[in-house]
Amino acid sequence: MDQSALKEYFQIAIRNLRTRSLRSWLTILGIVIGVFLIVSLLSLSEGIKETITKQLKSMGGEMIFIMPGSEASPLTMMMGGDKLEKQDMAAIKKAQGVDKVLGMSYAGSVMRYKEESKNAFLAGISWKESLDVLEKYQGWSLAEGRWPLPGKKEAVIGQQVANQIFSQKLRANTEITIKGRKFEIVGVLNSLGSKTDDSFAYIDMDIYQSLTGEKPGSAQVAMVKIEEGASLNQVAENIKTSLKETRKRRIGTDEADFAVITSEKMSDIAGGVLGVIQFAVVAFASIAIIVGGIGIMNSMFTSVRERTREIGVMKAIGAKNSAVLSIFLFEAGIIGFAGGIGGTILGAIAAKAVELYGQAHPVFYFSASVSPGLVAFGLLFSFAVGCLSGFFPARRASLLKPVEALRRYE
Amino acid sequence: MELILKLENVWKIYQMGKLELAALKNVSLEIPPGDFVAVMGPSGSGKSTLLNMLGCLDFPTRGKIFLKNKDISSLSQDQLSQLRGRTIGFIFQEFNLLPNLNALENVMLPMIFQKVPFLERDKKAREILNSVGLGSRMLHQQAELSGGERQRVAIARAFANDPELVIADEPTGNLDSKTGKMIMELIRDFQQKKGKTVIVVTHDPEVASYSKKIINIKDGEIAINHQPSWTSQP
Repeated sequence: MDQSALKEYFQIAIRNLRTRSLRSWLTILGIVIGVFLIVSLLSLSEGIKETITKQLKSMGGEMIFIMPGSEASPLTMMMGGDKLEKQDMAAIKKAQGVDKVLGMSYAGSVMRYKEESKNAFLAGISWKESLDVLEKYQGWSLAEGRWPLPGKKEAVIGQQVANQIFSQKLRANTEITIKGRKFEIVGVLNSLGSKTDDSFAYIDMDIYQSLTGEKPGSAQVAMVKIEEGASLNQVAENIKTSLKETRKRRIGTDEADFAVITSEKMSDIAGGVLGVIQFAVVAFASIAIIVGGIGIMNSMFTSVRERTREIGVMKAIGAKNSAVLSIFLFEAGIIGFAGGIGGTILGAIAAKAVELYGQAHPVFYFSASVSPGLVAFGLLFSFAVGCLSGFFPARRASLLKPVEALRRYE
Repeated sequence: MELILKLENVWKIYQMGKLELAALKNVSLEIPPGDFVAVMGPSGSGKSTLLNMLGCLDFPTRGKIFLKNKDISSLSQDQLSQLRGRTIGFIFQEFNLLPNLNALENVMLPMIFQKVPFLERDKKAREILNSVGLGSRMLHQQAELSGGERQRVAIARAFANDPELVIADEPTGNLDSKTGKMIMELIRDFQQKKGKTVIVVTHDPEVASYSKKIINIKDGEIAINHQPSWTSQP
């Protein structure tokens, strides 16, 4: 290709696009939509992935989680459902290799401070049994104040509750109302590493259960710290077996409707689910871009037909095939690239808007991750689609014989 | 003396379904430098086909065409385009300017295809446009120019690469007689002052009267008339 003249051909291409600007913009719009979908959805799902990974990390390494629902469908775990009964908790505790079992229950709850009522999470934790595990293995620490005493209406709150949710900052030794009862905030936690975890107020399990009507001794989820030197997977198996036996004795079925998951497996599951989501996102958005590409091809073929004579003239006055090819390829490539820029900008804006919405509604924390790689991908992909879909029309134009091109429309 | 253009037993046969139509029948022709030739003939006579051959826009079915002693059938499309762009300037009845470019850019285009550097082609295009009297209209688009002005831009474009041969296809066909005369004078000046070769296709005796030689074409065969029946030039 004659490189020296590429700049000129590029300018001519721009000129040609400008003269049919409405058509050019409409064609560009087709690409914008596809790239918009890719950038916005991928950056959101990437953000969710990061948030979840961070949260899993904050849960600590060598732990086993027991949650209601089935392992096969992670969504039921998140939704909750059945609770771990007192017997179940006992079954977990007696499984071989289990050092400590921490039961925890939680629910969304309205909290009132002075005249303000806000939504946050409320969790029950048995301070007596859990505190040292939380401190040693989960990295819990206090930014100020002290830990609540078992059996007292005292709470520690996460960073979000302390600093973000209420218009005033909450400090230790203030009083808030939770579910109509007065609690004293005795401490503020350092950040636990995820916004969701930081949006909790943690109170004593017994008080939580009397407040919510949950049966004493049961829990929604349980975390297990294994004995020193035991194998994580083996202990998980032991817990499963033990739980099954108990359940069989109690309600006559050994179907597992609890999921026993190691921290490793949890990140695998989360990663797998998000992988599928991202794959679907890319697949659908690619279809949108391909449709946009067909739009480019259509528009370029029309343009070649309309400008047949022009092509003939260019060839008569000395244009090589490659010159004509370059001009038409540039036109298609520019359409694709412009669509890519538009789509990327709109996609990034949309992703950030969703993120802001999420921050304003604390139940819905995640960040959008518009990575440079994603931006580069969006731009390159759309440029490539433009060039690819412009190739056949451009080739047709470049191979026109001058005499035929000139004769056309005479 | 090197001939600009030579046609040797050229046939052009079009296949119309099962019918074969010979648009040119065994045409041989030599165009030396400095010639001013008019091609005349009724429509359907093969005039356009001959023009395409003379302009090296098409290959003959049989026979050979030599452009500056080079057999054009031995050239690739790209090589032929380059040679044509360097050697032949075209002027069309419908002007055929590129609608998206202004006058100056249209004149620069053939030079872009010959890879003339920007400063040089810009300067040259301005000079030529000045010489055809369009110095003040250089940055206008085609739509803002009159027919005569458009044809002058086309002439400037044809002259851009300083070609040895200019082929004009009914250059005055879309113009009034006064403008047509101005156009023909520009073409004649180019031929006379620079010693270049001009082939003009026309059915207008006025236009043909500028030429030294007339090629009459009828039913695909040519007859060369060295002495036009009208001798006085307007």
